[in-house]
Amino acid sequence: MTTAAAPHAMPHAGHGPTSFWRKYIFSTDHKIIGIQFLFVSLFFLLVGGILAMQIRWQLGFPGRPMPGGGILPETMAPGGVILPEYYIQLVTMHGTFMVFFAIMPLLVGVYANFLIPLKIGAHDMAFPRINMASFWAAFLAGMIMLAGFFVPDGPSRAGWTMYAPLSASAEYSGVSTGQILWCLSIVVLGLSSILGSLNYITTIINNRAPGMTWFRMPLSVWALFITAILGLLALPVLSGAGIMLLFDQTIGTHFFDPAAGGQALLWQHLFWFFGHPEVYILILPAMGMVSDIISNGSRKPIFGYHSMVFAIVAIAFLGWIVWGHHMFVSGMNPTLGSTFMVSTLAIAVPSAIKTFNWMGTMWRGNLRFHVPMMNAVGFVSMFVIGGLSGIYMAATPLDMFIHDTYFIVAHIHYVLFGGSLFALFGAFTYWYPKMFGRMMSERWGKIHFWLTFLFYNATFFPMHILGMGGAMRRIYDPTQYDFLKPYQPLNQFISISAFLLFATQIIFIVNFVGSLFRGKKAPANPWDDNGLEWTLPNPAPHGNWEKPPTVYRGPYEFSSPEVAEDYLPQTRKLPTDREPVLAPAAGD
Amino acid sequence: MDTAHKHPNYILIWVYLAVLTALELGLAFELPISRNLKLVLLMFLAIWKALLVAMYFMHLKFEKWNLRILFIIPLPLAAILILAVITEHIW
Amino acid sequence: MTHAAVVSAMRPPFPAERGVDVYNKKLGMWVFLASEIMFFTALIGSYVILRFGAPAEWALPGKVLNIPVTAFNTFLLICSSVSMVKAYAAISHGDQKGLRMWFGLTILGGAAFVGVQVYEYTHLIRHGFLPSGFRDGSELAELAAANPIVYGQTIAGLYGSTFFTMTGFHGFHVTCGVISMLYLYITRVLPGKYTKDDHAGVEVVGLYWHFVDLVWIILFTIVYLI
Repeated sequence: MTTAAAPHAMPHAGHGPTSFWRKYIFSTDHKIIGIQFLFVSLFFLLVGGILAMQIRWQLGFPGRPMPGGGILPETMAPGGVILPEYYIQLVTMHGTFMVFFAIMPLLVGVYANFLIPLKIGAHDMAFPRINMASFWAAFLAGMIMLAGFFVPDGPSRAGWTMYAPLSASAEYSGVSTGQILWCLSIVVLGLSSILGSLNYITTIINNRAPGMTWFRMPLSVWALFITAILGLLALPVLSGAGIMLLFDQTIGTHFFDPAAGGQALLWQHLFWFFGHPEVYILILPAMGMVSDIISNGSRKPIFGYHSMVFAIVAIAFLGWIVWGHHMFVSGMNPTLGSTFMVSTLAIAVPSAIKTFNWMGTMWRGNLRFHVPMMNAVGFVSMFVIGGLSGIYMAATPLDMFIHDTYFIVAHIHYVLFGGSLFALFGAFTYWYPKMFGRMMSERWGKIHFWLTFLFYNATFFPMHILGMGGAMRRIYDPTQYDFLKPYQPLNQFISISAFLLFATQIIFIVNFVGSLFRGKKAPANPWDDNGLEWTLPNPAPHGNWEKPPTVYRGPYEFSSPEVAEDYLPQTRKLPTDREPVLAPAAGD
Repeated sequence: MDTAHKHPNYILIWVYLAVLTALELGLAFELPISRNLKLVLLMFLAIWKALLVAMYFMHLKFEKWNLRILFIIPLPLAAILILAVITEHIW
Repeated sequence: MTHAAVVSAMRPPFPAERGVDVYNKKLGMWVFLASEIMFFTALIGSYVILRFGAPAEWALPGKVLNIPVTAFNTFLLICSSVSMVKAYAAISHGDQKGLRMWFGLTILGGAAFVGVQVYEYTHLIRHGFLPSGFRDGSELAELAAANPIVYGQTIAGLYGSTFFTMTGFHGFHVTCGVISMLYLYITRVLPGKYTKDDHAGVEVVGLYWHFVDLVWIILFTIVYLI
């Protein structure tokens, strides 16, 4: 550690570490860490998908032996027939892996790490070694969670929301070690997330290049910044709750044990106080990246940049005071319930502002429907549907009926798959050239998009109907209820669509992996975009820039009258531009 | 922050803290006042002590407003969580 | 004095847009402390919520827990906070000797605090106070059976749960602080690596240490005195 260092200590731009281990495994370079998160999280996305396939098999064809089910042990699926005890573990782990180990790290671990320093003109994150620690902690957490499948009695059975007292006592759930592993994993993941957030926040506040003022930052960076603040403040609450749950299971505390004066509902409050900001963590980065992509694909500045920023802030702010809408049927104080209803309805407003702004961006734009653009537009339309179903749920009297039904499952998957995952497919394709120096196949990207879009809607839209019909979440066999028997054909239709949806992703996997070796070599700026990252060669060198670049304008100057091209990079200096005036360094 | 700023009188703050702590102990055990009033007064004293540590030892008093905001933001969130859940019980 | 002539590692990165006028490590620590506030909110908040909603009264202050010892411990922690800030003031004037003395005293104070806490815990456990409540057949269990109101017998399980979790995690944070300070003491303070212009480590660990003290101030009041 140097002592009296120069005012801007220059990292060794260009010559970073050279050994394989330091360069690719224990790297402190934010770009490599982002790619590490990418590979690990895509693996967990696959795991979550495989769990979902089993769930859909059981729901579509209850009690029938599953093809390939023979490899599962007798305790889970004797003769390939999924047991109820195993089914609820599938449901729990599907939710857990998808939320914590797939979508969250894909949006934040990958893109916050990869994009932030590049897009603001920094050499790397403020704390590169803490960044590396954050990745390895997340990896460890994932391994702990996966270990749950290999211990006696298997993983937790309490649903990804882990409600007490089912989760607090092995006596009720039948799972002891697996439950402890869940809690441990979440505590470690919380730490990883907090370390990451503190890096992103510090870097964005302090390490922006000259001229990169707050309101010249791309919306993806704004979204990631606000997301980091949400994560910073919400994850510790989950960690605390997870520790209390762990103690209830192991050292005999009674936090959630009503018999000893504890409160089962306390878990719900703590979990959802974290859980609601968490779902905004799962959508805001997607919205930010979609803004960048849509502006690019429309060859127009984003419509209402400032209101987009304020909408992100408003969503984050309101997101803290809506958590009770997950608990409308818990028996809580109705007055408190009404306050949550009002705040939940209010949060639709900034989301609507963003939606109209995306449409305003596209309106009369010179549309280029490249694969990222298609996915981004798919995001907007699917997110609208998910958001609209949310309005129904916000109304407490209505939620009494649809809570814990498939209507909720439909909503979740419309915003998470239709929303976040489509945005991610767009982002994967968009920043692939910057990550790997090659282009993904345009043709296969388009085929993947259309097939996914088709099968995804076929899978999840009917769930709205199922839910309105009263089909409950998490149940093992819908046919055991007479009133659900008429819906069984719909369940089968959903399951078959889900299998086709999963199969379609093979196209993506082949495209992604294949393009690493055989993709067309990418130019530095294949999408004619304005962001700082596109001014660097592929792959960007360690340390990104020798000297921080100078920024002269915002990121969405497409079709500007000042230049002949239809894009105008942030760092390109025109004769009319002035140099940014930096505030004197503190202490002068 | 660098070397130029003035340091407040830390020993004086230490004396304040010691006095406030002694007050708290006296209040908790000696004064024959109602429990609720005790609660309020004790919390008031504790918060005063905490503020002294934050403003003077952690130098928040001398930092820019936007750094102070960083420390302040979690507090209303904490209050909302606790108050909302407590009102849950009062019905 | 132009910025070029001031050689201080403790300034925001330059050239860069103006952030909050503090260098990265310090900003990072503040951000981390904001998350710690939320962590302790979960634990302390749960205690407040559980106590408010509890079906029975908790033990009277001082009956189960030892107030004089803990009051002394509180004083000790506050003193170590003062010595920490005196250490920072010393090095900001370039006073290496002062730094060594005050920083060393802080570590001693912190270690003593942990020691007293360990003593307190063993004492409590021996007398029968556990995270799950009063141990059957222990001294406290018998006292509680004789005076259930004073000892909050019906709610002892919650009492133990919240007490040990909150103070335990606080103690864990103090221990991490002591270890970090010891590490810095051996690798940087003693060899004189901190200077008037670069003493970021002292300031940053100091912020953490004051925060830990701050949390204890709140904890002591609401756990021991109410």
